[in-house]
Amino acid sequence: MKSGLLLIPVLAVLSIFCLAPLLEVAVDSLQTEDGIGLGNYLEILTSPFYRQAFANSLSVSLWSSCLGLVIALFGAASLRRLPGRLRDAVVAATNMASNLTGVPLAFAFIILAGTNGALTLLLRQSGLFGNFDLYSRAGLILIYSYFQVPLALLLLYPAFDALDDDWQAAAALLGARVWHYWLKIGLPVLAPAILGTFILLFANAMGAYASAYALTTGNVNLVTVRIASLVAGNIVLDPDLAAALAVLLVALMVLVTTLSQRLLKKSYHAR
Amino acid sequence: MSIVEVSGLAKSFGQTQVFQDISFRLKSGELVTLLGPSGCGKSTLLRCLAGLITVDAGRIAVDDRDITGTPAYSRGIGMVFQSYALFPNMTVAKNIAFGLAMQKLPADEIAARSAKVIGLVELSGYESQYPHQLSGGQRQRVALARALVVEPKILLLDEPLSALDARIRKSLRDQIRDIQQRLGLTTIFVTHDQEEALILSDRIFVMDGGRIVQEGTAESVYAEPASQFVARFMGHYNLLDGTQSKALLGIETTGYIAIRPESILLSDHPTETEEGIPGVVRRRQLLGNIIRYSVESTGVSLSVDRLNGSADDLLPEGAAVRLRIDKSILREVH
Ligand SMILES: Nc1ncnc2c1ncn2[C@@H]1O[C@H](COP(=O)(O)OP(=O)(O)OP(=O)(O)O)[C@@H](O)[C@H]1O
Ligand SMILES: [Mg+2]
Repeated sequence: MKSGLLLIPVLAVLSIFCLAPLLEVAVDSLQTEDGIGLGNYLEILTSPFYRQAFANSLSVSLWSSCLGLVIALFGAASLRRLPGRLRDAVVAATNMASNLTGVPLAFAFIILAGTNGALTLLLRQSGLFGNFDLYSRAGLILIYSYFQVPLALLLLYPAFDALDDDWQAAAALLGARVWHYWLKIGLPVLAPAILGTFILLFANAMGAYASAYALTTGNVNLVTVRIASLVAGNIVLDPDLAAALAVLLVALMVLVTTLSQRLLKKSYHAR
Repeated sequence: MSIVEVSGLAKSFGQTQVFQDISFRLKSGELVTLLGPSGCGKSTLLRCLAGLITVDAGRIAVDDRDITGTPAYSRGIGMVFQSYALFPNMTVAKNIAFGLAMQKLPADEIAARSAKVIGLVELSGYESQYPHQLSGGQRQRVALARALVVEPKILLLDEPLSALDARIRKSLRDQIRDIQQRLGLTTIFVTHDQEEALILSDRIFVMDGGRIVQEGTAESVYAEPASQFVARFMGHYNLLDGTQSKALLGIETTGYIAIRPESILLSDHPTETEEGIPGVVRRRQLLGNIIRYSVESTGVSLSVDRLNGSADDLLPEGAAVRLRIDKSILREVH
């Protein structure tokens, strides 16, 4: 009973800030011109344009999450070997970088790697990597990775504390090379943290809007960009269709989370 | 069954020299304990032997083969860590089979050899448990089995028992000794517990400040400490400095006089004419079969051990006694 009472604040916050808006969106998504129905969903699922938006959102999110995760794994592993003060500095910088998103981030990338960006000019002059286009899907993946990597690093780094250096020593004495150790012990032990981090990165990327919009001004067709334009009424004003898009976005997130939970159950569990 | 020869080994971390000029020879099938206080470099020395850390100077040879530069994974040295270092994501069976799996042996051979060591360390029935489901003693036996299954030439044990409670410690200690002798395994056992060292070892290397300060059989190290440090570390030696030994025994020394607590005789009902040094019992400690008295005499406090006989023999605090010290077994140390 006592513990039930303690749950009330959590439930209140959840229902006011998560469930209520979601419910509202869900109800809106069923409103069509000819009354209540699944018309909005039908429109989305039959439209190549919206399907492309989902495909783009999924691919940018998946790639940037995987890229961010892999880079952050190497980063976190080497971060653990750094002396204390340097490590703290890196963590602080990472913290800042993971929060630098949206328009400022897009602007920073434009002056660095845009058509006439410093880095672009430098690379073009040296003949390397001459035709990289920041304003494309690849550019989006790059710019997403900018906040995905530090976010993943921050989330993964504490998990590395669970690794005991003696495991690697013990494995080595039993004939294991470094990669054996990571494959058989390091990564399996980290698996829950890696999966959890992946879900957060994926959600983060699926929901990202401002940096993408600022960079491509809507030229890359993403679900969030579509929702925004339907709500703002740039071309057509249809908030109910936007609501249906949002519900599908949430459904996709739930699907990915459920799949990862499944995987998580199969993986090694810390006690 | 291997011979180990180490000469001139040195290691420092940055400015701090951990050890220098370490040289020794292990006979085949011998168990040597490396005994020394915390921080004297025991673990670092073991890790160097195992190839987990590189040495700055010196040479390590096993069976006349120089392995100083050989990587850990191909040295053929087994090690048991103080923290056990069991792989938490693997069952007991998988942990133990790990080394064999690394050698890519056929599954039936892995199963047979694992089963044999599992029997040896008496862990049958626990094969499918995970490390966190085991007690400390069981974990340590898994660690031992995991190291033994690959049939290492040399076994290194880094304070394998220090995290266990006294009873399990004793039984596991005997078990380790038993297995080591049965397999004839050349073994280095690190400990900072002198009792453990005395009971287990064929030979003891006493380490202090990065040097081996004495080596010898348990009996010789205990009876003939080479220095004040060893005397203090090995037992509950009474150490008298120059003025104390002059006052108590009439012996002059520039170092210390070491007297073992069990070599002092106490006479409880002294007569005026009796020989011996007069003293007063200040404190009494029961150590099981032994009673340790703290006796004060001419301003010096001495530990004296007596067998715990009948209750009538107990000396109360404040009792007047006479001490008889056999001068032939005194040792002068520096
Ligand atoms: N990686 C390292 N970097 C710097 N100094 C180290 C490192 N490892 C050990 N040391 C230092 O070397 C010295 C010896 O350490 P070591 O662990 O070998 O001692 P030990 O005899 O095993 O002690 P204990 O009984 O507490 O385990 C210590 O002063 C320690 O601080
Ligand atoms: Mg140690």
